[in-house]
Amino acid sequence: MNIVLRLAWRNLWRYPRRTWLTTGAMIFSNVLLVFMISIQIGTYGLMIDNTLEALTGHLQIQAPGYKDDLKMRQVVPDAISLAASVREGLNLQTVSARGAAFALASSEDRSYGIQVLGVEPMFEPGVSSLPGLTKEGRYLDDANAAEIVIGSVLARNLRVSIGGELTLLGSGRDGSIAAGIVTVVGVFHGGNKELDRGIAEVPIGYFEDTFDMQGAAHQIVINAGDYSKTEQLVQQANALLPADSKLVVHDWNALQPGLRQAIQADMGSAIFMYAVLVVLVAFSVLNTQLMSVLERTREFGIVMALGLTPGRLGRLVMLETALMGLVGLVMGSVLGGIVTSLFTVKGIYVPGMEEMAGQFNLPSRMYPQVSALTLIAGPGIVFLFTLLAAIYPAMRLHWLQPVAAMRAA
Amino acid sequence: MAKQSAILSVVISLLAHPLAASAQQPDAAEIVRGAIDHWRGTSSYSEMTMIIHRPDWQRTMSMRGWTEGDKRTLVRVTEPQKDRGNGTLMIDNTMWTYSPKVNRVIKIPSSMMSQSWMGSDFSNKDISRSDDIVDQYEHNLIGTTEAGGHVTYEIQSVPHEDAAVVWGKEVLTVRDDYVLIGHEFYDQDGMLVKKLTSLEIGEMGGRSVAIRQRMGKVDEPDEWTEVRIDAIEYGVELNDNVFTQSNLRNPRN
Repeated sequence: MNIVLRLAWRNLWRYPRRTWLTTGAMIFSNVLLVFMISIQIGTYGLMIDNTLEALTGHLQIQAPGYKDDLKMRQVVPDAISLAASVREGLNLQTVSARGAAFALASSEDRSYGIQVLGVEPMFEPGVSSLPGLTKEGRYLDDANAAEIVIGSVLARNLRVSIGGELTLLGSGRDGSIAAGIVTVVGVFHGGNKELDRGIAEVPIGYFEDTFDMQGAAHQIVINAGDYSKTEQLVQQANALLPADSKLVVHDWNALQPGLRQAIQADMGSAIFMYAVLVVLVAFSVLNTQLMSVLERTREFGIVMALGLTPGRLGRLVMLETALMGLVGLVMGSVLGGIVTSLFTVKGIYVPGMEEMAGQFNLPSRMYPQVSALTLIAGPGIVFLFTLLAAIYPAMRLHWLQPVAAMRAA
Repeated sequence: MAKQSAILSVVISLLAHPLAASAQQPDAAEIVRGAIDHWRGTSSYSEMTMIIHRPDWQRTMSMRGWTEGDKRTLVRVTEPQKDRGNGTLMIDNTMWTYSPKVNRVIKIPSSMMSQSWMGSDFSNKDISRSDDIVDQYEHNLIGTTEAGGHVTYEIQSVPHEDAAVVWGKEVLTVRDDYVLIGHEFYDQDGMLVKKLTSLEIGEMGGRSVAIRQRMGKVDEPDEWTEVRIDAIEYGVELNDNVFTQSNLRNPRN
């Protein structure tokens, strides 16, 4: 086998220019694949984290059915103490209890239907970006104060500013009429119209009094920091739930099914592009190897006449291709990794993308994410197709007649 | 030519009218108008109980209501203690609500009219329904049944193209003494969404009224709201200031 390997390596460099050209095509496509896949994975990660950071979190503990019905009575009992024990059990500070109710918010002369969230002022900044985006005024700080933080579009619609009063009118947990007067202390700019128009936050203590929650809330929101840790945290959180409770843990995919669908749609179109690239490279390899086999017809005829089996010759051709592919794989991955890593720090700025990026909660600068997967996935597939492309030239050797081959021009 | 045919059609309709009357085929729109008039044609004062039923809980509220004509209504909650003093005032199609907890009168925006009224299965729109159904709908008599000495008419009412109505059609069942037996609401695709049924009809305040009515969604049979009339008085003298925002806030009666 050693001799075959050596032969293959020498054969490869008999025409260095041709070998380099083919390997160059492989390296180029591998660098491109590493770069593109890294950007994609990086973008998806950002998209998931940024979307979930706004409000949803990576996972939530809820009453069964609440996710679909959003009924006031589908509660998590003793939510604040459960949130505290989950915080301790997971050894994670980014856990917060939240109540949610639909209410009519009225200012002096205008009224809008909104979702009112009762939040823990101390822990909400850990699970949601809205507190940090409260640029006008301040965020909530007292768990029982009659204060409210509203979105910028809602503030404009209601014509209310910091210090103004809003009346909330809705239904309590027991179906009674819930009403309260709150002072606007902050306005957030969530960057997302839906949030800015329809969401307001009050302290959880005030929420419980007003909506007669009796210590219960609707969600315990957990921010995993990084979406890849979600699965592990779901398991841990499940183990932390009281044994007799019917509560369920939902991951972000269940809470925001649209997010994964958007990613899958994008991935589908990207995979098609990659497939075209890989097939082109495979054909260029097929061309090179077929050429090199055909031009060696006489040589192969002679060695076969000397007793070399077609199987061994076929292995030789396959090995040549494999070596070439390996060079392309290693150089492509290394070069791709280096190029991509340069951009992980600075990011890539694509002018005119701000609008579209904003829709997916993305910054206008894209940051690729390099990992073993992004380095190997693309080049690995190129390597596989290179080998597949060499099968036909190798198979041809089985039909080679030594005498006829030796006479070939 | 056009004039001629117009005159002709008037003549024909004049001729046709007594024929229709003799065949005992009453006009659908007239029955609806009659039902509305019967229900609230004059002024009234009533005491009611509203039961909101859900699979795992039930809630009972007591209220008092005043009406005048089909345009003006005032409802005030008396029980439970927690909700006492909450009230709703409706004039034409405008609705205000008052809550003593915030001591404020709030006008309900039109975008909220399809929301539930006080947590019940009635929407704000259902409660404030005035005579919209008479002039914004096309009425057709689709069935007549006779039972227990009464004739019952079934009327299909389809809103006009330009009517601001969420329903595709409504079917009213009205007895010949103008008591409303049932009211079904269909969506734009013709699917039955919710229905109001009169469970008990009796004499009260000198006329036949639906004493117990139940509103429920069709696909949630275990969720309904029942309104029971405990006492009703018709033709009461009502002060002009009954239907005002200041009376909603500070009851004087």
